[in-house]
Amino acid sequence: MRLLQSILGFALLSLVACGQGTGTQTPSNSDGAAKRPLQISTVNYPLAWAAQQLAGEGAEVHFPAPADVDPAFWQPDLDTVAAYQQADLIVLNGANYARWRARVTLPDNRLVDTSSAFTDQLISVDSSPVHTHGPDGDHSHGELAFTVWLDLSLYAQQLQSIAAALAVLLPERARGIAAGSERLSGQLMAMDSELIKLGQQLDGEPVLYSHPVYQYFGRRYRLNGRALHWEPDQSPSERDWSALGELLKQHPATLMIWEDKPLAATRDRLTQLGVEVVVFRPLGNRPPHADFESAMSANIARLRAAAVEVP
Amino acid sequence: MSGVWYLAWRYLLWHRWKAAILVAAVSLVLYLPLGLQLLVEQTARDMNARADATPLVLGARGSPLELVLNALYFSDEQPPTLSYAVVAELRDSGLVDPVPLYVRYYSQQVPIVGTSLDYFGFRQLQLASGRQLATLGEAVLGYRAAADLGVGVGDFVVSSPQSVFDIAGVYPLKMPVVGILAASYSPDDEAIFVDLKTAWIIEGIGHGHQELTRPEAASAVLKTEDDRIVANASLLQYNEITAANIDSFHFHGNDAELPLTAVLPVPRSDKARVLIQGRYQQHESLQLLEPRAIIDQLLATVFAVQRYVLVAMGLVALATTAVVLLVFLLSWRARRPEQDTLHLLGGSQAAVLSLMLAEVIMVMVLSVLLATLLVVLTHWFGGPLLKAVVL
Repeated sequence: MRLLQSILGFALLSLVACGQGTGTQTPSNSDGAAKRPLQISTVNYPLAWAAQQLAGEGAEVHFPAPADVDPAFWQPDLDTVAAYQQADLIVLNGANYARWRARVTLPDNRLVDTSSAFTDQLISVDSSPVHTHGPDGDHSHGELAFTVWLDLSLYAQQLQSIAAALAVLLPERARGIAAGSERLSGQLMAMDSELIKLGQQLDGEPVLYSHPVYQYFGRRYRLNGRALHWEPDQSPSERDWSALGELLKQHPATLMIWEDKPLAATRDRLTQLGVEVVVFRPLGNRPPHADFESAMSANIARLRAAAVEVP
Repeated sequence: MSGVWYLAWRYLLWHRWKAAILVAAVSLVLYLPLGLQLLVEQTARDMNARADATPLVLGARGSPLELVLNALYFSDEQPPTLSYAVVAELRDSGLVDPVPLYVRYYSQQVPIVGTSLDYFGFRQLQLASGRQLATLGEAVLGYRAAADLGVGVGDFVVSSPQSVFDIAGVYPLKMPVVGILAASYSPDDEAIFVDLKTAWIIEGIGHGHQELTRPEAASAVLKTEDDRIVANASLLQYNEITAANIDSFHFHGNDAELPLTAVLPVPRSDKARVLIQGRYQQHESLQLLEPRAIIDQLLATVFAVQRYVLVAMGLVALATTAVVLLVFLLSWRARRPEQDTLHLLGGSQAAVLSLMLAEVIMVMVLSVLLATLLVVLTHWFGGPLLKAVVL
């Protein structure tokens, strides 16, 4: 009997030893890596600028879109998506900006949608047809206007969203971030006040936009604008000019707001039609030789100068 | 080998069938209670480890056990769904980091787990080969799922239709395998992971189809009224998401209303855990559970059944012992002429008794060895077997 007990005891001890080697295992947490600065990735330049201003040296801010593309329509490659996945914080514009976002996999808990606080203020620009092809009923692939930052009061709210997210991730810098947020919001609201005055100065005078990206800008600053689809680096066709002529009959604008300097020939022909050109860069991508603040100040200065000329 | 042991051994070999039956009977009597105990304890340990690693599970009101088994072990129970809006609600609370789950579809019996990238960090899952999910329609497989399906990075897995008779229902989705996870010794090894949006596409909530305003879709258009187009079921819907058609994929309705089977809220602190539990304690349509408590209840039932089984086994062991004893006594009596022969050859009474005892000891030793072998086999293969039965 003792022999039997010994054998059973030995067998069970062996099993316990085996169990320690093959049971449920929890992988070790490899936290041994040296502490690196917070990695922030953004989907456009205004968000990158705001994040860098707020985080300072506490973070490395990445905005990987090439300088010569519109980030709203850019498609990152797999390596860039992988880089976004590694970020500690991914700052989104919201309003369906950067449509690639809906087609890739990102860590949801590291995303911050900077427009989530004002979704009720987003502007719908639905133009796709409603269609039905199954039991789900009618639907359309609707669109939202996305250049929310051109309404500087909304941009200030985006900035506050970033500040709130940064304060959680960088608690040791929370006071500095709050102070930075207050300072930047103050600067933005000062520019906002200036634009409101310019809007009042224009007093509902018809204006044209070269591209449909000024929805929030027009709404906030009460501009009476109509949008075309003209590109600064392309000559409009005769059909475009004809359409403009028809539009001017209904909407006699004397000012046309462009995303960038149009071709000289285009500018001259517009001048002949009595339409003055003013460049107001949306700043979705990095402006050459400037940052957001100086580029927006330059935008306002150009608009102010042009507004003086409006009869 | 001394004479007594040699003679005992030769006797057992000569009566091999009788000896084998005796060894088998004694082995089973020894093995069954030990094996059962080991099996249950091993399964309980694994299940508790998974439950302990999952602080909370949020789901729609219904069976708590179904919800926990589906969320933790990807079992085929189908808990009622909750809306994706809950994820934003949890995240906005600032108390937890929510990890959404949609576990409803399969690829050849392997569960397809729709989730976010946060799940991999939460479970500390590492890639053994390939890369992480990057775009819609991709799949990352647990190492055992990959082995069972016989696929590797670069191959494809196809979601199984829910019903072969549902010809107007969900189309199977062909998904490229972009990564294989390293073994984690958990149910994650036996699952296919996809982005939550991909899981919704499998369900048919999201889909990609021909652009209805394009000429090639004209045959599918029934009528066009102003800005409204009505198409028939012949409209080409894509069953694989590629770089060429990914832009056409879209979701109907409000994202906040899309379904989930569960959310794993990961509390940021102990205080946050208590606070979030308080918020959902009296919720009308949602239940926030501690998986360990639910698994403990399940295991309590298993242990209760185990006790009854052990009592029954004890009775069987008694009966078996009596039968074995009877076999030896009858054998002793039947071998009286053999004992007489040994005495005539000069064998003492003690030598004859030693011979009989040696036979009993040999049967017992062989039985213990066989029982030990069975216990070891149970340790290696029994856990997954029982889990497959329980889950």
